[in-house]
Amino acid sequence: MASQSQAILLLQKQLKDLCKNPVDGFSAGLLDEENLFEWSVTIIGPPDTLYEGGFFNAIMSFPQNYPNSPPTVRFTSEMWHPNVYSDGKVCISILHPPGDDPNGYELASERWSPVHTVESIVLSIISMLSSPNDESPANVEAAKEWRDQRDNFKKKALLDSMLGVSGIFRRNKEVECSSLQVSMDNR
Amino acid sequence: MESEDDMELMMDDSNDDDEFFGGGGDDDDDDLDDVIMDYDGFIDHDSDDSDDLSSSHSHHQHHHRSQNYTILSEADIQQLQQENITKISMVLSIPRDAASILLRHYNWSVSKVNDEWFADEENVRKAVGLLENPIPLPAAKELTCGICFETYPCDRMSAAACGHPFCVTCWQGYISTAINDGPGCLMLRCPDPSCGAAVCQDMVNKLASEDDKERYNRYFLRSFVENNRKTKWCPAPDCDHAVDFIIGGGNYDVTCHCSYSFCWNCAEEAHRPVDCGTVATWILKNTAESENMNWILANSKPCPKCKRPIEKNQGCMHITCTPPCKFEFCWLCLGSWTEHGEKTGGFYACNRYEVAKQEGLFDETEKRREMAKNSLERYTHYYERWATNQSSRQRALENLHQMETVHLEKLSDKQCQPESQLKFIIEAWLQIVECRRVLKWTYAYGYYLPEHERAKKQFFEYLQGEAESGLERLHQCAEKEFQGYLNAGGPSKDFNEFRTKLAGLTSVTKNYFENLVQALEYGLSDVDSQGTGSRAGSSKTLGRGNSKGKSNRGKGTASRSNSSRNIDDLGHWSCEYCTFANARSVAVCQMCQQRR
Repeated sequence: MASQSQAILLLQKQLKDLCKNPVDGFSAGLLDEENLFEWSVTIIGPPDTLYEGGFFNAIMSFPQNYPNSPPTVRFTSEMWHPNVYSDGKVCISILHPPGDDPNGYELASERWSPVHTVESIVLSIISMLSSPNDESPANVEAAKEWRDQRDNFKKKALLDSMLGVSGIFRRNKEVECSSLQVSMDNR
Repeated sequence: MESEDDMELMMDDSNDDDEFFGGGGDDDDDDLDDVIMDYDGFIDHDSDDSDDLSSSHSHHQHHHRSQNYTILSEADIQQLQQENITKISMVLSIPRDAASILLRHYNWSVSKVNDEWFADEENVRKAVGLLENPIPLPAAKELTCGICFETYPCDRMSAAACGHPFCVTCWQGYISTAINDGPGCLMLRCPDPSCGAAVCQDMVNKLASEDDKERYNRYFLRSFVENNRKTKWCPAPDCDHAVDFIIGGGNYDVTCHCSYSFCWNCAEEAHRPVDCGTVATWILKNTAESENMNWILANSKPCPKCKRPIEKNQGCMHITCTPPCKFEFCWLCLGSWTEHGEKTGGFYACNRYEVAKQEGLFDETEKRREMAKNSLERYTHYYERWATNQSSRQRALENLHQMETVHLEKLSDKQCQPESQLKFIIEAWLQIVECRRVLKWTYAYGYYLPEHERAKKQFFEYLQGEAESGLERLHQCAEKEFQGYLNAGGPSKDFNEFRTKLAGLTSVTKNYFENLVQALEYGLSDVDSQGTGSRAGSSKTLGRGNSKGKSNRGKGTASRSNSSRNIDDLGHWSCEYCTFANARSVAVCQMCQQRR
């Protein structure tokens, strides 16, 4: 119980701080005012990237023993990216449990540490948007396209941004082709 | 005979046990005391007749020419671990905590730590997170915790050597989470991702709960065995001894204090003279589905329509497959039953089959079926003997136990002999147990001996036969003759003769089996594998083997080598090497690939 109250105190504190001093590039708040463990985050597509201008919504779910264990982050907006699973779950090393990676791929220092906050996590995700890591992809298809067919990749990412701007958060398959045409014509 | 003399010469090296105890490597100077004590116990039998376990252990050591391993109890492991830490701490002039972090990082190799450290101390420090000059907490009255961002007075804050301050509550959560996460907690670092300073055991002891501390210490101890290249846990259930093995010294068989013998290399039960690879193949074969497949192949035919395997265990050739197939066919030719009748020579004499056979037109499946049947029978032969020796050994172990717990005392009463003078009986039984084990594995050995190395195979079977009969003599004496003295009315006059006989048989059998194991491990290298007999020694031995134990086989071989008689009435020729009956049309044996 002690750890849960620690999590609540810490999350309250961060929420207050973010309201008082918003950070450029994203906004964050609670999904449900009653529940401190579920956050809603909107990330603005970083400038000079394929995602520029889009608004991407994500839900951050904190475990009861936060900050000793990491939260999970899941995009609810469509996100075509090598490090985002097709269900929207974000896969970056700082969200992985601590300790040395048994495969020796990630250093302990790149993994979860209790010093991470909502702010540092979202900033990491923003940096992931601008520089995908196709070495350990969560979405293999996206990674392959990112590597081999950068044009196709760009189209899909642009489409995601377009959908983000227009406020349609779940892509409709039938809309895809026609709006892709539109978006390409517009640019 | 020559070959046996060779083996005896090899045997003479076996007394060099002291070599190990004298120069057991600089790492382990101190931990050997208890082994030396056991060792003494085995020379001086009278000193430890009370403790069955340790006495049987010391007897087990008897079987090893030079013991190249040490059995470690939990206390031994702890002691050894602490000694290594002390060593490093002294040599590198660093605190014990730092030394244990270093050792853990380099998998508990003292020499590796030394090498790395003196090659590039700075790099090593960086890699494991040891700071040369610890940084104290910032000098302020109050500090802000880097995790919960609360401000606390200094005495509520703590930091690793890097001085990054976190509050005690956050530290506790951090450490506890890591410990619950697994052995990774032994490599814990400062929570600040950019820092990497190691969190030492001292800090864990100060901050963690009792439960967590215990778990941490458990991981710490386990790490010493599991991350160490030279040590492994005894695989026997409920045994918590570890084995420290000196790599590069002879064979891999080790016997734990719990009396379980296993191979240090592959962790299967002890299996000399067979190598680990063969054992793995053999065990796989014993368990694998492949044998089932072979049986099905050998003893059934697939229904020509639905392909389900059918075993014909009686009755006529008119087979009706079970529903839903219900196909009616002839077992002999697998043709549809509707084509069978007067025209084709009657229902029960399907001559199409005979014709096919006479022409040597075995179809592919028939050939495969025949081969599978042969190989299955061959496998069954070896497996049965392997398994029988296994259960014999189990029984001998029970007898040994009974001997130790009941009979020895009774015999001591009957024959008015102190129990300490009756150790030779226990030794005999230990030898029987060991011999059964070796014998068991010789059957796996025999199974994998290539068919075409006929000379080798014959020599092997001769040696194996001698081993069987030698062991039988010993077993007989230790079991039957022993009963006479056990049930005697009073002290027997010839008890001393019995002692001499049994002790003699034990030592003769022991020698024979040790020689056998060595010879097999060397792959019977003194036998010319093709049997062309360029060496007088080996052909002489073989000659003896034929005349003595395997005379039937010898004759059979002689007649078979006459190639004109090799062809039977149906035009098959039987392979010289494996006796497989091949169709006339083929020039290479379908079983062993030898040319006709």
